[in-house]
Amino acid sequence: MSNTSSDTTGDESLITTDVETGSTDRSTAVGETAVAARDLDVFYGDEQAIDDVSIEIPEKRVTALIGPSGCGKSTFLRCINRMNDMIDVCRVEGDVEFGGKNVYDDDVDPVALRRKIGMVFQKPNPFPKSIRDNVAYGLKIQGFDGDVDARVEESLKGAALWDEVKDQLDSSGLDLSGGQQQRLCIARAIAPDPEVILMDEPTSALDPVAASKIEDLIDGLAEEYTVIIVTHNMQQAARISDRTAVFLTGGRLVEYDDTAKIFEDPEEQRVEDYITGKFG
Amino acid sequence: MATDNQNATGFGEVSRVRGIVFEYLSLGASVAGLVALGVLLVYVAIDAFDLANASPEWLLTYFLTLVVPFLAFCLYSADDAAVTRRVVGVLAGGLVAVAGVFTAIETFVVTIPRLSWQLAYLFVVAAPVTAYLAYVGSHGRVGAVGFGLLGRLVGGIAVGLAVGTLFLVFDELVWFLAYTLGVLPAAALYAYGRWRAAARAVTAAAPIGLLGLVAAAVLRGVVRTYPSDLVIYLWTLAIPVAAVGALVVAARGSRTAAVAAGGGPLALATAGGFLAGSVGLPGPTTLIVLAVTGVPTAVYVHRVVDVGEGTVGLGLPLLLAAGVIVGALVVEAWGVPAPDPWLDASYVTEAPSRNAAEAGLYPAIVGSVIIIALVAVLSFVLGVGTSVFLEEYTAGSGLVGSLTRLLQINIANLAAIPSVVYGLLGLGLFANLLGLGYGTAVTAALTLSLLILPITIISAQEAIRSVPDDLRRGSDAMGATRWQTTKNVVLPEALPGILTGTILALGRAIGETAPLIMIGAATTVFSAPGSLFSRFSAMPMQIYAWAGFPQAEFRYGVVAAGVITLLIILIGMNGTAILLRNRAERGS
Repeated sequence: MSNTSSDTTGDESLITTDVETGSTDRSTAVGETAVAARDLDVFYGDEQAIDDVSIEIPEKRVTALIGPSGCGKSTFLRCINRMNDMIDVCRVEGDVEFGGKNVYDDDVDPVALRRKIGMVFQKPNPFPKSIRDNVAYGLKIQGFDGDVDARVEESLKGAALWDEVKDQLDSSGLDLSGGQQQRLCIARAIAPDPEVILMDEPTSALDPVAASKIEDLIDGLAEEYTVIIVTHNMQQAARISDRTAVFLTGGRLVEYDDTAKIFEDPEEQRVEDYITGKFG
Repeated sequence: MATDNQNATGFGEVSRVRGIVFEYLSLGASVAGLVALGVLLVYVAIDAFDLANASPEWLLTYFLTLVVPFLAFCLYSADDAAVTRRVVGVLAGGLVAVAGVFTAIETFVVTIPRLSWQLAYLFVVAAPVTAYLAYVGSHGRVGAVGFGLLGRLVGGIAVGLAVGTLFLVFDELVWFLAYTLGVLPAAALYAYGRWRAAARAVTAAAPIGLLGLVAAAVLRGVVRTYPSDLVIYLWTLAIPVAAVGALVVAARGSRTAAVAAGGGPLALATAGGFLAGSVGLPGPTTLIVLAVTGVPTAVYVHRVVDVGEGTVGLGLPLLLAAGVIVGALVVEAWGVPAPDPWLDASYVTEAPSRNAAEAGLYPAIVGSVIIIALVAVLSFVLGVGTSVFLEEYTAGSGLVGSLTRLLQINIANLAAIPSVVYGLLGLGLFANLLGLGYGTAVTAALTLSLLILPITIISAQEAIRSVPDDLRRGSDAMGATRWQTTKNVVLPEALPGILTGTILALGRAIGETAPLIMIGAATTVFSAPGSLFSRFSAMPMQIYAWAGFPQAEFRYGVVAAGVITLLIILIGMNGTAILLRNRAERGS
C-alpha cells in the first residue's frame, strides 16, 4: 500500500506533482491509538475555533493536519499538550485523550503532561544559549540524573544535526542557520524522550532545501515517536504523512483517512476542491 | 495617464523644508546643551585641580611626559598611517586655531576668566584627541592588552577600596563565621558535584550553605574569641580570590604558572597587609586591595603571554607611571611653578574641616559608598522581583487582574512623585515607625531604594516584556514550570536591559540630597560611619553644605573637588555595571 501514487496514473492523483504518498516502509494499517479527541469544541471568547471534532491518531505514525488558514488545525494541535491554557479567553469542551487519560481532567498537571509531549513551532525558537544547553534544556528542567552529554549527542544525531555542530556545541544556538535552528529545536524536543511530537508548520519559515531536510527527518522520527504535524503545504502532507486530517473553515474535521486515500480519492467534494486548489 | 504626466515634469518636487528645519533645530538644541555642560565641567575641573594657577611650563612638561607617550602608544597600537597623519594634523592645527581664536577674543571681545589659551587647547583639542585615540588604539591588539591590564589595575584598586569600605560597617566577625560555615562548604560541595557529575552534591550545596549561614548567625552571640581582622580577610577574601585565579590559570597553563599566578599576589598582599599594619596604615584594606588587584593582573598577564599577541601592551601602565614620575622630577628640578590641587590624596582620606586647605570628603565618600551598595542590592532584588511578578505571574483577568492593573498604574505614578515626599515617607516609616533612627545609613538606604524602585521596576518590566514570547512558549512546551521558564529563559535574556535600568536609577540615587535632608542626615560628619545605624553624611549633602560657606575657597575649590569626586565615583560605578552588562550580553 505504500507507493500508491506511483502505481496510479497521473490523472487519478489529485495533486499535480508526482510525489509518493505515505512513508516508504511503514504499513498504513492503523495501530494503537496515541491521541484521541472526542466531541471536542474550542472557543476563543464567543468565537468557535473547533466544532465537534472526534479523531483517533495512531501511535508511531505521522499524522498531518491540513486545511485553509483559520480552520482550527493549530488550535487542535495546541489542545493536545494544553498550550491553549496560556490563552486567557480560550475555553475547551469535550475530551482529549492521551495514553487513555483525558488531559483536561482536573487531576492532570499540564506541566507534567507537556514533559511527555514535545512541540516544534513554526518559527525556529532556540534559546539564546549554547547548542548543548539548548538540547539539554528539557533534561535540566526535569532533573535528569544520567549522562547528559550522551543524551545530547543522541538527540542531535536523531535530529540529523550532529555532524554539522559536533565541534561547536558551546557556541550559541542562534548562530546556526534557520534550518539548523529548526533541527536544533527538534533535537531539543526529542531529548527528554517524549511519546508524541507536535509540529506546528515546522518548515513554513524555511527555504526549500532546509525544509526537505526536516521532511526527511520527520520520516525517521515516526519510527520512535507519534508525530502530529500541521502543514499548509499539501505536497508535504502527501510526502511525509501516513494519515491526513482535513479541517475546513469553522473548525470542522471534514475528512480523516489514510493519506493516499485523501489525496487520490477523497469522499468529500469540498476536500477534493481544497486539495486541487479550487479554494483555500 | 498619470505616470506619463509625472515623467514629463520629472515627477515634480515635494517640500522637505519642515523636516530640515526640525532636524537642525534639534541638533542645535542638543549641541547647545552639551556645550553648556562641557563648559561647566571644564570650569569645575579647573577649580578642583587649581589649573588656573598652572604655569604653561608645567602643562608642557606633563603634556610631553604623559600625554605624548600615551598618544604614541595608541598610534603604535592602531598602526594606521592615516590616523597618525590626521591626529598630528589636528594637534598642530588645533594649536594654531585655539591660540589664534583665543587671543582674538581676549583682544577684541572680552577677557575670558580663569582660562589661558593653553588650557583651552588642553580641553578643546588635546582631551578629545586623546579620548578618540584611546578608543581607536583599544581596537588594536597591543592597545587592547594595555587597556585590559590598566583596567584590571584600576578596577582592582577601586573594587578593593569599596570592599574595604563596606567592611567598616558590616560586622566582619559574622562574615568570618558565615564564610567558614556556610559559603565555603557550599562552594566546595558544588564544585565537587560539578567535577564528579554528582547531581546530589550540587543540589545539596544550597541547603548546606543556608544551614551554615543560620549557624553563623546563632554562633556570633556565643563564640567569644576570633582571629585578628587581617587573618579574617586573608582567610575569607584573599585566599579564595587567589585560588580562583590559580584555577583560571590552571585551566590553560601549567601547574607552576597557576601556583605563581595565585600564590605570588597572595604572598605580596599578605606581606603588604602586615607591613601597612605595622606602619599605621589600614592593614586589612591594603590586603584586600593588593589581593583583588594582584590576582586578576597576574592571571591577565599570564593569559597575554600565553597567547603571545600584543605583549608590548603590557608596558602601558609602566609607561604612564614613568610619565608621572619623570614629569614630577622635571617640575621639581627646574622649579616650575605647579598648581596646588584641591582634589588630592588628603582630600579623599581626611575629614571635613573649618579650614578650606584641610577640608576632606572621606566620611561622606564612605557614607555614599555604603548607601549606594545597599540601595543597589535592595532595589535590584525588589525591582526584579516585582517586575517578574507583574510580567510573568499575574493573571490578566478577574480580581487579581484588576488589582495588578491598579498596581501597574500606580507604579508609573510613583515614579513621578517628588523626592522630598519620599524623604517624608522615609522619615515617617523607617525612622519613626520602625525606629531605624534619624539620619542613619540604613534609613537613608531604604528611603533611596524606595525612591528609585519605580524606575527600576518599570525598566525591568520593559526588559522582561522585550523577551520574545516564542522563547517562553518554547520553554513552556518543554514542560517547564513558570518559575523554570522565568529563571532559565526570561531573566538571562532580560538581564542586560534590567542592568541598564538599574544603572540609570542608581545614578539618580547617588546624587539625591532632598530625601536625605528630610530623614535628618547630617550635612557634615567628622568620622566615617562605623555601623549601619551610625550617623552618616553623603557626598551631595557635604557638597551642598560647603556651597553655603562664606569663604570663597570653599565655594569654589572645595565644592569643585567634591563634584569631581562624585562624578568619578559615579562613572566608576556605572563603568563597572556596564562591563557586567556587556559580559552578560556576550554570555547569552
